Amino acid sequence: MGDERSFRVALVADRYVNPAPGGLDGLAVLAAAGWGVMQLPDDAYPAEVARLLLAEVAEQVEEFSRHGYLFVLVGERAGLGEALARVGAAVPPLVVPGSTGELSEFLAAQPDPPALAAAEKPTG
Amino acid sequence: MGVAFVAHCLLNQNSKVRDGAHCPGVYSPIVDVLRAKGWRVEQMPCPELAFAGLNRFWAVREQYDTAAFRRHCRRLAAAVASAIAARAEQGEDIVLVGVEGSPSMGVTITSSDPDRGGRPAWPEGTSEHTGGEGVFVEELHAELGRRGITFRVAGETHALATHDVATERARLESVLDDGDG
Repeated sequence: MGDERSFRVALVADRYVNPAPGGLDGLAVLAAAGWGVMQLPDDAYPAEVARLLLAEVAEQVEEFSRHGYLFVLVGERAGLGEALARVGAAVPPLVVPGSTGELSEFLAAQPDPPALAAAEKPTG
Repeated sequence: MGVAFVAHCLLNQNSKVRDGAHCPGVYSPIVDVLRAKGWRVEQMPCPELAFAGLNRFWAVREQYDTAAFRRHCRRLAAAVASAIAARAEQGEDIVLVGVEGSPSMGVTITSSDPDRGGRPAWPEGTSEHTGGEGVFVEELHAELGRRGITFRVAGETHALATHDVATERARLESVLDDGDG
């Protein structure tokens, strides 16, 4: 059985996963580019709910990072930096895209994930 | 329309057990249906990833049905249930989209083999699938029940021998439309 994972994960602000009408559909861009998405809590959530959700995001980032998966951050989310710091993870490279082209270019400019080489994943 | 709380791996196949990723990142067949129907998408944490790690083995429900994993799931369920409660209080319709056949994320079909353990060698096949919820979904179900929150369920079906994308899509559409009547 093949495994199609990309070893690339984007932490994504909610507004790019559930865009307002006319907003940038970041999820579609990331899907087309082969990136996995870890959605960040909607800004509308109460602070305590967001804190709990961000703690779980950070814990999962920690596990991916230990295995050489590549991260980027698409959009900002208050409290993310603190949550990542608690597990010893750094805030990934950030883009706040204004267009699909800008997001696509940013993603294309990222290096290969260290895990990709380690997995010796066949290409094609 | 409402809010669909989806299994982590539906937006991030990198979280799958090794050899389980069906695509590079976002599993679009499910996401496309939700968005076409006008549903918000909200991602739940993967209960297996942080607990058992990326190098975990394929497992059945009995292997995850431990006190420690249930404590982990209850912690995750409390966080997710708080988010669901916030949406429910706004009058939103709630659907959970899980992963059928999963020991933790199955919503109507999980996996079971009471004898599995020890050296990891077993024949290929799907005989382990059985009706029921995975461990995390069971804990989330209980937490939402305590809060008096009702919801419907749907599942991604790749692990099932009967998997068919068109059928998977039709079932999801049916569940989403159930609340419109």
